[in-house]
Amino acid sequence: MSEKIAINFTVNGDNESRDVEVGQTLMKFIRDDLHLTGTKSGCEIGECGACTVILDGKPVNSCLVLAVELDGKELVTIEGLTKNGELDRIQKAFIDHAAFQCGYCTPGMIMSARALLERTPEPTDEDINEALSGNLCRCGAYQEIREAVKSASKK
Amino acid sequence: MISYSYLKCKDLAQAYDLLDKEEQVYPLAGGTDLLVGMRGGKFTAKLVVDIKELAELKILEENDQGIVIGAAVTLNEIATFKPILDHALVLAEGAHSVGSYPIRNRATLAGNICNASPAADTAAPLFTLNAIVKITGSKGKRTVPINEFFIGPGKNALHKGELVESVLIPRPYPKGAGTYMKASRTGSVDLATVGVAIQRWDDQVQVAVGAVAATPVRAISVEKAINENGEKDFAKAASLARNDISPITDLRGSREYRYHMAEVLIRRGIEKVMEV
Ligand SMILES: Cc1cc2nc3c(=O)[nH]c(=O)nc-3n(C[C@H](O)[C@H](O)[C@H](O)COP(=O)(O)OP(=O)(O)OC[C@H]3O[C@@H](n4cnc5c(N)ncnc54)[C@H](O)[C@@H]3O)c2cc1C
Ligand code: FES
Ligand code: FES
Repeated sequence: MSEKIAINFTVNGDNESRDVEVGQTLMKFIRDDLHLTGTKSGCEIGECGACTVILDGKPVNSCLVLAVELDGKELVTIEGLTKNGELDRIQKAFIDHAAFQCGYCTPGMIMSARALLERTPEPTDEDINEALSGNLCRCGAYQEIREAVKSASKK
Repeated sequence: MISYSYLKCKDLAQAYDLLDKEEQVYPLAGGTDLLVGMRGGKFTAKLVVDIKELAELKILEENDQGIVIGAAVTLNEIATFKPILDHALVLAEGAHSVGSYPIRNRATLAGNICNASPAADTAAPLFTLNAIVKITGSKGKRTVPINEFFIGPGKNALHKGELVESVLIPRPYPKGAGTYMKASRTGSVDLATVGVAIQRWDDQVQVAVGAVAATPVRAISVEKAINENGEKDFAKAASLARNDISPITDLRGSREYRYHMAEVLIRRGIEKVMEV
């Protein structure tokens, strides 16, 4: 049995306290303990971006963060974007542009895009490419994804 | 799940004391090498000491000595820090070429050099800027020039109980342009097949290359041809890089391809900084 450490954090606006096992990744913790399964597991080595979440305002690969590192931090997952049943504009834009096929990369893409729009409300193509550089789409919906991000940025 | 202990350090002394006393203990900065390495069995840690929240390691500032980059400063912070963009663009470009945007939100420059991959993208830029590594530990502080910091693949100049506190880009800054050129299999999220840093120092150049030897190396023959022998044919000068590197064949490219790309990127880089 590995050591457990108590952590306090906020997830999607709510304060939470948990005991987490050292060695558990933030990604596993989000999925298995918080039961927020919108965050996906792909490569688990930082290469695909399926696990992207926003930690203290910045997009990070949750598979490369330890759950204990969440202590004192603010976490936003894909579930946190919907407010009172209303989708975020970036989520709507993905639907409007059919910016996916299987949808596996979508939560990670949206979290990266959402963080981009927070820091750069009117991104250039280059900004979008940079922001999404860590998100792979095996279905190849890149063109539609870029269009979706652009359209969400104009509103 | 791999089992080990974790401690968030309260100050630097606690961190290096633990590094000194314990076995199989690793500092944790961004974790982008460490966590991947632990999962893959490259590192077996008993204790991980988290240093990334230490205020003394978060310093990113310009002072009389130059630009100080604390060990917990992320690559995204480095790539957008104005004094670095103004005086050390080669480093901003090298930092920016690492991984992806979210990786750079976690990854640090100190982690990049401590991991001591021959392909570390910040290394060659640091070589061309004559950067100085500031080390702190239970036996005191010392400094090591960047070109003595890399010992071999995965091996750095740190002794037990030591950690990197910061990296200094010393004044006087280079006069003239600098650039980092990276050949890799994909546009992002790949290590360099070859990485070339070129920095102009007035009418001289400094050239360093990554992923072509056991450590990043200066292309001394190229520098000598231009700086001492006044070679104006940069293609000819770049071809001398063969004397300075000894690449291997791996999944990212063959030995011959690396020789070729090193030469091409060095020529292009020199042409760019010399404004040909
Ligand atoms: C998907 C992906 C893509 C990547 N792409 C690139 C790339 O394009 N180019 C590239 O160069 N690298 C790349 N990397 C490797 C990695 O991101 C970089 O080397 C990064 O800079 C490491 O920094 P870190 O803070 O995450 O280090 P960590 O993982 O925290 O640490 C790395 C090593 O250094 C030690 N360490 C950390 N800080 C200190 C310190 N202050 N003193 C002493 N020891 C210390 C740790 O114990 C560990 O052994 C990639 C990694 C991933 C996962
Ligand atoms: S699962 Fe985290 S980047 Fe692939
Ligand atoms: S929609 Fe299938 S991976 Fe992107």
